[in-house]
Amino acid sequence: MGKYLISFTKLGYIKYTSHLDMLRLFKRSFKRAGIELVYSQGFNPHPDMAFCQPLSLGYESICELLEFEINKPMEPEKIMTRLNEIMPKGISITSCIPLDDKMKSIASTCYEASYKIEIPTIDRCNHSTEDLLQQYLDQKQIVALKSSKKHRETKELDIKPKIREIKANIVDNIIIMYTRLDAGSHSNLSPELLISSFCEFAGIETARDKAKITRTDLKY
Amino acid sequence: MNINDKLDSLLNKVIKPGRYIGGELNTVEKTEYKCHFGFAFPDTYEIGMSYLGLQILYRILNDYDDVYCERLFAPALDMEELMREEGLSLFTIETKTPASELDILGFTLQYEMSYTNIINMLDLANIPVLSKDRGEEWPLLIGGGPCAFNPEPLADVFDAFIIGDGEEAILEVCKTYIQNKQENGTKEQFLKSVCVKDGVYVPAFYEPVYNEDGTIKEILKKYDAAPSTVRKALIHDIEAAPFPENPIVPLIETVHDRAVVETFRGCTRGCRFCQAGMVYRPVRERSKGKIIDLAVKQLTSTGHEELSLLSLSTSDYSCFEPLISELMTICKSRNVALSLPSLRLDSFSFKVLQEMQGFRKSGLTFAPEAGTQRLRDVINKGITEEDIYGSIRQALLLGWNNIKLYFMIGLPTETYQDLDGIIEIGKKIVRMNYDLKGPKGGRFNVTISVSNFVPKPDTPFQWERQDTPDELIKKHNYLKEGLKVKHITFNYHDTATSFLEGVIARGDRRVLKPIIRAFELGARFDGWSEHFKEGIWMQAFKETQIDPCFYNCRIRSEQEILPWDMIDSGVTKEFLLRERGKALVGTTTADCRLNCEVCGLKRYTICKQEGVNG
Repeated sequence: MGKYLISFTKLGYIKYTSHLDMLRLFKRSFKRAGIELVYSQGFNPHPDMAFCQPLSLGYESICELLEFEINKPMEPEKIMTRLNEIMPKGISITSCIPLDDKMKSIASTCYEASYKIEIPTIDRCNHSTEDLLQQYLDQKQIVALKSSKKHRETKELDIKPKIREIKANIVDNIIIMYTRLDAGSHSNLSPELLISSFCEFAGIETARDKAKITRTDLKY
Repeated sequence: MNINDKLDSLLNKVIKPGRYIGGELNTVEKTEYKCHFGFAFPDTYEIGMSYLGLQILYRILNDYDDVYCERLFAPALDMEELMREEGLSLFTIETKTPASELDILGFTLQYEMSYTNIINMLDLANIPVLSKDRGEEWPLLIGGGPCAFNPEPLADVFDAFIIGDGEEAILEVCKTYIQNKQENGTKEQFLKSVCVKDGVYVPAFYEPVYNEDGTIKEILKKYDAAPSTVRKALIHDIEAAPFPENPIVPLIETVHDRAVVETFRGCTRGCRFCQAGMVYRPVRERSKGKIIDLAVKQLTSTGHEELSLLSLSTSDYSCFEPLISELMTICKSRNVALSLPSLRLDSFSFKVLQEMQGFRKSGLTFAPEAGTQRLRDVINKGITEEDIYGSIRQALLLGWNNIKLYFMIGLPTETYQDLDGIIEIGKKIVRMNYDLKGPKGGRFNVTISVSNFVPKPDTPFQWERQDTPDELIKKHNYLKEGLKVKHITFNYHDTATSFLEGVIARGDRRVLKPIIRAFELGARFDGWSEHFKEGIWMQAFKETQIDPCFYNCRIRSEQEILPWDMIDSGVTKEFLLRERGKALVGTTTADCRLNCEVCGLKRYTICKQEGVNG
């Protein structure tokens, strides 16, 4: 038996494939690649396989992580090649490393995610982007509205402590932000809250469906 | 902004954007071809991708170098609204090509209630709905599938229909198209050369003339060389027919997410209400070796976690037991689930079900179809009371505690005594369970689902009247009252939908008007109970002055010219009339594996299963 971690991209139209569908996709892909996953015992056996930090529907990524366990150890290179031969457009495996059996799961040790956020504006930038961003970050509290599905209510939330770093510039009326945010089970910030609170602060009226988000890094 | 950026911003807003993106495993990309074909399924992606016919034809067309086949589906209501707002026209999901730029647009006609979706898709593609309004610049519109056996309601929409097995015919149509294009031929020239091919019906070459009472006086032929009757296309050797070894694997979850192998086409049972059982004759089986080979290849190329077999009656396959035993071994070793629909519940099936389902027993389904032996004989459903109770007894003993029963109401000659029979069966099963397990039997449920009989073309019941919605509602209420029994759940189908299905199923060319009007008034996804709006349809019939009752509420005379009389489904009218006569006096007809009943198919092909069990 052997545990492995692969890193892969999710680019283009495939970004509209949900987390659960990605799980099914990988399950089938391992089967097709002839890589035997370790299945759990019981009435409903399922393979031992987990993504680190689910990616929201519609986000692209160059750094998705998936850990899994297989029956017969294989060369990481070989796993990578075999999977790359059969992955759909937009998904390509960029690395595969063996994991120590005793290591905690990546999903539980993940603490930071980086996102590139592109927000188109309609010539609405009186200030320089740097100034605007600095003012935004200099607020005592950065309040975002979080809606909870469970309680069907929106709560105010100070997201300032969860923002690790933001850099920004503007190209052709598109604000491009490079962000490092808290991620994982301990403290987590969704880019959605950042986008909505920033746009409100800056008075940018951009339909949310025009913004593009790409995950660029996951730290664990 | 190109279409893709536009599309991208829409996809960010809709439910299940994965329906529209394409790029699934085993899809095809082509840059050079002579015929650009769009396979259109007039329902959502999840339903269309679960349809085996799409997978078969997609593979056949794309395996042919000169044809590129892409897929189109009906956008869900949220997507449609955005597409209309943003002016995005209907597109293929492989290359996002606008439908209007295709050479041929082929719709599959699976269900009458999808017809407004067809009109809607054409409208979203900015393609004129009526064939007479489409000049040389528009795609050719072709229809196929089971509903094409009565093509008349859509005769003024489509340029041609493919009747019967599509495998060879569809390629033949494309080849004719390419040749005509190379010869700079017109659309009319294409239609003239294609109308003589097996299974191709060109509606513009026929014109019905009506009597004053609305019935058909005669069907005039407008082009001399067109055949007087169009014989359905038929695959004679199914073993040699192409079947996908590498089907498309959807990225999102669909209705049936699994590898599927068709074990045989056709059915020998001869149930008199069943259109599929009549029009897909004769029974043609794939060999066991071929089925297993296809199953293994599909599992290998897709990575699917479930395998299913497809036919009209799973257990009727000649070497059923050895086939299933081998498949079970294969599936076990691959961590794949085997699912077998419509099993006849004999002792072997129970053994298989025990092994497949183990402790997690899902429901067991039986389809007696009618409540009394008399009525079951009328419809020629060869199943007896002993069959039903014997199997259910065994199921109860083996631990199934969720039994589902399917019945039809509104069958020809039905009386309330037959409804009492349904109630009686339900009660008897509950009593049986009590007798076997005592008062502390645990959780137990019998679900009785009742659908409304809809007479279909090319069946012995094609002349019958259909119960009116009022009659059906009375019967539903009667059953509801009678089945207020602990442990029994009673379900029934919407009557308005069944009524409409009946009108369209046996409709003629005049029925198109209310279909188009209903679309204009907002009808979409009529087969979905949450989207079906009865009021719209009633208004559409009223405004177009078409009386739906003309099609449904009268017994048609045996001499009447039926709208679909120019279509030859393989079975003769004599056979259907003979079966009708026997039905009305309650005489059964044997399974054709026991004895040939001379349905007419042998005029065209060899019937290998004839009398094999006789």
